[in-house]
Amino acid sequence: MAIINQSTKELQVKIVYYGPALGGKTTNLVQVHEHVQTQEGQKGKLVSLATSSDRTLFFDFLPIEAMAIKGFKTKFQLYTVPGQVIYNTTRQLVLRGVDGIVFVADSQYDKMEENVKSFQNLEENLKTLDLELEQIPYVLQYNKRDLPNAAPVEYMEFLLNNRDVQVPAFGATAHKCQGVFETLNMITRMLLHKFINESNRVKQLV
Amino acid sequence: MALPQLIAEDMRELDRVLGDLVSRSEASAGLIIDKAGFLITQTGDFGQFDSTTLAALAAGTYAATQGMASVISEPNFTCVYQQGENFSLLVRNVDAESLVVVVFQAHVSVGAVKYFANSAVPQLSRQFEIALKRSPDTLDLAMMNMENSDEFFRKVASA
Repeated sequence: MAIINQSTKELQVKIVYYGPALGGKTTNLVQVHEHVQTQEGQKGKLVSLATSSDRTLFFDFLPIEAMAIKGFKTKFQLYTVPGQVIYNTTRQLVLRGVDGIVFVADSQYDKMEENVKSFQNLEENLKTLDLELEQIPYVLQYNKRDLPNAAPVEYMEFLLNNRDVQVPAFGATAHKCQGVFETLNMITRMLLHKFINESNRVKQLV
Repeated sequence: MALPQLIAEDMRELDRVLGDLVSRSEASAGLIIDKAGFLITQTGDFGQFDSTTLAALAAGTYAATQGMASVISEPNFTCVYQQGENFSLLVRNVDAESLVVVVFQAHVSVGAVKYFANSAVPQLSRQFEIALKRSPDTLDLAMMNMENSDEFFRKVASA
């Protein structure tokens, strides 16, 4: 859960990129790290706890600061989880204290079952932390739209975004940095609106 | 649920206790962090350390240790200690939400660091308790101005 330091007017927020193995979660963070505009050239360091074959073992971590929020210094911590099925305990650890989620789905037809299972796994893991998906702002990213065997967006919407409340979804080609910033900006906007609404609600109660 | 919020009074007390811990144990630096990986405050010489990354990794390490504790049916491992050639590191549980991290030179006694960390923990957890119990009317994001809210993060124009 986010932390506010009123003495320094600083807000810290945690966003987790979740999804099936080799779906492009780490690529999202790499692209944000390479292309994000930062104040005075200050750029957070991208840390990857990966295996020798560059598969995420524990998590990737990228701290960044949003430019366009006045009044508060807003620091975002972006994490990925390991997508491989065997690392479920690790995914639970990384989800601790999560404020917002980006679910990165693989658009290839033959990955649809993995997408759906990973999404179900996300819901199960949130429950172990006494959280429900509905409580947490999340967005969907349909990655690898450039591949010839990409499923239609409508089909992916039917599989992954067919709930009572539909969430924003973005097509992306993460390795070309297409859709990466659109996704990040949307989850940021949803998160901050949620915080401000909570803040206003508490004030009205007082 | 209200957001956890710290005010100047909390930060002063946390900084005081952490400062005492670092100076008494002759450590190089100290951090108070949230178990989600957020850095709450720091003291000491961080010229050579990236404290934001250290906070995230220390929280992850501690969480993994708790996972191992549960696998071997150990109810609680309260700290993680790494001995190095130049620097050593102690991560100590404070309460359900936070940890204290101490970085110290390898020649400094870990026993002393643990001793002073143990006495700092109740003081830190007491201040967090006060912060949590404080009236929610101090929760305030009113100063936040979300101008141009489509572009919190901007992409560098390609050359």
